[in-house]
Amino acid sequence: MLRQDINELLTQTGPGTPMGELFRQYWIPALLAEELPENDSPPVRVKLLSERLVAFRDSEGRYGLIDEFCAHRGASLWFGRNEEAGLRCPYHGWKYDHTGQCIEVPSEADNSSFCENVKLTSYPLVKVGDLLWTHMGDPAKRPGLPEYEFLHVPPEQTYTSKRWQQSNWLQAFEGGIDSSHVTFLHSGGLKSDPLFKGAKGNEYNMKDTKPFFEVADTEGGLFVGARRNAEPGTYYWRITPWVMPAFTMVPPRGDHPMHGHFWVPIDDHNCWTYSFDYHPVRSLTEQERQAMIDGHGVHSKNIPGTYRPMANMDNDYLIDREAQKRGETYSGVAGIAMQDASLQESMGPIVDRTKERLVPADSGIIKARQKLYKSAVALRDKGQTPPGVDPEHHRVRSAAVVLPAAESFLDSCRDAVKVVPGAPQASV
Amino acid sequence: MAGPYLSESARAASAAESRFRITRPIAPARDARIIALDDRAAAVVRRVADRTWARAGFYLAGDGDRVAPRTLDGAPVALADLLTGTDVVVVVATDDTGRNAAAAVGAGCGERAVMTAGVVLGDGFAADDAVAALRPHARVLLLSADEGDLVDLLTALRV
Repeated sequence: MLRQDINELLTQTGPGTPMGELFRQYWIPALLAEELPENDSPPVRVKLLSERLVAFRDSEGRYGLIDEFCAHRGASLWFGRNEEAGLRCPYHGWKYDHTGQCIEVPSEADNSSFCENVKLTSYPLVKVGDLLWTHMGDPAKRPGLPEYEFLHVPPEQTYTSKRWQQSNWLQAFEGGIDSSHVTFLHSGGLKSDPLFKGAKGNEYNMKDTKPFFEVADTEGGLFVGARRNAEPGTYYWRITPWVMPAFTMVPPRGDHPMHGHFWVPIDDHNCWTYSFDYHPVRSLTEQERQAMIDGHGVHSKNIPGTYRPMANMDNDYLIDREAQKRGETYSGVAGIAMQDASLQESMGPIVDRTKERLVPADSGIIKARQKLYKSAVALRDKGQTPPGVDPEHHRVRSAAVVLPAAESFLDSCRDAVKVVPGAPQASV
Repeated sequence: MAGPYLSESARAASAAESRFRITRPIAPARDARIIALDDRAAAVVRRVADRTWARAGFYLAGDGDRVAPRTLDGAPVALADLLTGTDVVVVVATDDTGRNAAAAVGAGCGERAVMTAGVVLGDGFAADDAVAALRPHARVLLLSADEGDLVDLLTALRV
């Protein structure tokens, strides 16, 4: 359980809130690069941390992320004309550049300096990998750009998707460090999902449904090790890294690509789930990439032209009780992503954590909440930079290994959980 | 009922419907024993014991290598008695001196099907042997630099 005041602190991310200020210390994904595919492509509405913004790519290829609403009368610049190096409000023609600076007010005299004093709130928007990242905090404290490995392998080795999740970011994120649900909720996927099946590790997963956990502090967040019995005298370890505030990786399976997530608050009742797959040493095969596009693995099949999953709360997640009876899915919902989302959304927009009955196996979640809370308070009270801001903290990997029973996963996997460019993942 | 909603799931997941979740007092779920394995752990456990807990007993595991459980007041307790009636044991270690106690408590919990959790404070390496002794038995090991983890764990478990 969690005190109500702490639950509120961790789940509210709007401007001026402690958790909102914490998120504003980091570069966070704002949208996929594919959403602004070319110069002068249509602007895109972006809501992040309860701030309504519009993103655009101007005639010179510069990305802008600015207040959604025109300074004149408050019309949405989503209707704006993206042309000639700026975004023009179609209502009265006010025009803004990629920094939010007003550069033209047609009703003013030709030489008027009026527009120099009109500037919309804006944030940097930078392409790293397949994502456009923004930093919504103090420019003087802007850290180095993200260095997560999935962003820096060659394009043919990586794929990222996103989906809208209708819940607070925290309950979505907590699923990412909750290794014990895999054996139940995702058991169907371990047998059939083209991006999971066939790995030796899956057998250990299915045979031992009562994993042991070790949770260890790191400079940037946590490692959560889940240990299951393997051959006599050995354990199968699945090691999940969390980098603050919202980056997690799923331990790999065989030679399948590695995957993970970044959860980004839209507002307090919605979040974006960015899901990525990459292989550190080889290109994704056509079949793998197609499987990701088709919503397998950690991805979702979305309604065309949107980032809303086809299976969503409005259609009861297309639950199929017959498939459940046949053993194809554990919950009746198809796909790893929507299996998670359906249950996390069912908790309500912000789950009441004062009513929980946690067990020791939830220690990863307990520790993560504590780390987030302490970091938010230390930032608010002492201005202390939180873990995970330093790009050095981003250079982590998940791992899945079999170790002799006496060995500590932290000692034995010290290299396996570090990014070594060009080195294969540690995976069973 | 607010709406309109396109499905039962959409209505049930709404903020409006969250107000109708049943509210009633939740009884403490656990009858916990918290056992310090070494001297520094004992100091931590004494501080934590000063807080208000619903159903928790706090103990010291022994002297150095010797397994000799006792209460925080120094009264000896048989390990079997200490583990009777509990459903979760949390052991706390900061170094290796409690390795024998870790093994004894872990084995005792295993025999009685008592959930065992370990909180290892410090850099982890100083308590390698204690961790190794606990590993076969402790369902959860929390390796941490923060003694607040013990408080948070017990609070989250509604001890």
